[in-house]
Amino acid sequence: MTLPLGPSHLREGGHMVDFHGYSLPIRFATILSESAAVRERSGIFDISHMGHFEIRGTGAVSSVNRLLTSNLEAVESGKALYGHLLDESGGVIDDIMAYRFGEDRVDLVVNASNREADLEWVTRHLSPGTGIVDHSPEHVGWALQGPESEEVMGSVLPDLCRMKRREARTVAWGGSSFLVSRTGYTGEDGWEFFGPARSGVDLYETFLHAGKESGKLSPCGLGARDLLRLEMGYPLYGQELTREVNPFDARLDFAVSRSKGFFIGRDAILSEDGTPRILSGHPVLVGFLLQEKGIPRTDCILETGGGNPVGKVTSGGYSPRVGGGFGLGFVDRVFAEEFRRGAKANVRIHGNLHPIRPGSWPFVQSGLTKTLRKQ
Amino acid sequence: MPPARRYTKTHEWLVQSESPEAWNVGISDFAQQEVTDVVFVELPKVGRQVPRGGEAAIIESVKAAFSIYSPVGGTILAVNHALDGDPGLLNRDPYGQGWIFRIQPSDLSELDQLMDEHAYEQFLSEGGGHPEHG
Repeated sequence: MTLPLGPSHLREGGHMVDFHGYSLPIRFATILSESAAVRERSGIFDISHMGHFEIRGTGAVSSVNRLLTSNLEAVESGKALYGHLLDESGGVIDDIMAYRFGEDRVDLVVNASNREADLEWVTRHLSPGTGIVDHSPEHVGWALQGPESEEVMGSVLPDLCRMKRREARTVAWGGSSFLVSRTGYTGEDGWEFFGPARSGVDLYETFLHAGKESGKLSPCGLGARDLLRLEMGYPLYGQELTREVNPFDARLDFAVSRSKGFFIGRDAILSEDGTPRILSGHPVLVGFLLQEKGIPRTDCILETGGGNPVGKVTSGGYSPRVGGGFGLGFVDRVFAEEFRRGAKANVRIHGNLHPIRPGSWPFVQSGLTKTLRKQ
Repeated sequence: MPPARRYTKTHEWLVQSESPEAWNVGISDFAQQEVTDVVFVELPKVGRQVPRGGEAAIIESVKAAFSIYSPVGGTILAVNHALDGDPGLLNRDPYGQGWIFRIQPSDLSELDQLMDEHAYEQFLSEGGGHPEHG
């Protein structure tokens, strides 16, 4: 499916690919130059493929909170919250962002590949008097990301520079209302926008041209977006997260509130007193670095030093900022502990074994990790 | 005039080196633009026999791994070790310093099945390039 920003991408020299049925740019220049631009200056990404739902009514917050692993009740109005939707057995249906506006409005931004399943799941669990609207079919979305994104924002919508990290607002522009949050998927400062295509295309172009004129902004594709998120160790649904995995398996403990009350899937992943249930049969996510040249890719086999297969790569790549090949993968829980303590392991790439050592994420220092360190 | 390059539908080129027994192989400019950001090249072992269309090398770019198929069957005579230290040569100079390996064809008649410059241009203009993979 073509998306409203497609013509703009073609004018900018975007190389388009199919991603879950949507035509999106994989790159404009190269993945390395675009990812460097986002770490050093700023980049703008089309995220129109993501789903955006608006839930309204007196039961909006409580309805969503019964589906979410994190605690929306504990979040103040005008804030974005990351969390998972779980099925009854604790498997991850999707990882999403929830935006709370007062008591009677919650917006959700969900993964493209899960939009229809999420819409059905959330709709089925709404309390009476609460309604849901799927804005995705006519919308556009983009992410402005990078240390200089604030300067780009200052030249377009300067009021929004006062937003705090994870703050969310609705912003009127060109006769339309946009969901705007100071969030992102790169590990850098920045903003995400969702709104109707009829004015959203113009607003996207306004950012693109303002940023390009000042030399601070590059249009970026899915390739750079994937490398930047992997450098941070952020999960990608379908790779690190699936229905077969629970949040603790994927080491996303922070996404689960142990103190909140009921949510669907809680009993499968938490015991009565709120401690995580460790499912010994479930593999666990580990990070690793290659010790010699080679690039691990999704589905490469991970092996013990003795040659026993113990798991699979979920995401892999190469980054000059990491210093070589690196990745994430699920391995047997017992071996994960041995690996952490120094047991030898290899990843098989094109039939050849490449030694790996443990690597913890984030794999790089980013704008956000530096900010957190300062605080 | 430099010797004429011949091309495969999988975007390798082949050109005669010092003698009709030795031909250099690389990837086209179109291919290097598709591959982008070459990080490593896995070179074949010298002396190895490869069939026509057999995988002879692997290019690892940031985006993906790409198999390089031998345009003709034969014996690997030499490999370009300059790519070990500077894989970016493949992006910067795909027809020159970015050559990948040198092969001795076992059957010179296989050369006739490759495209010349004009036929390859035509092939590209008819959409012969691979779509990029997401």
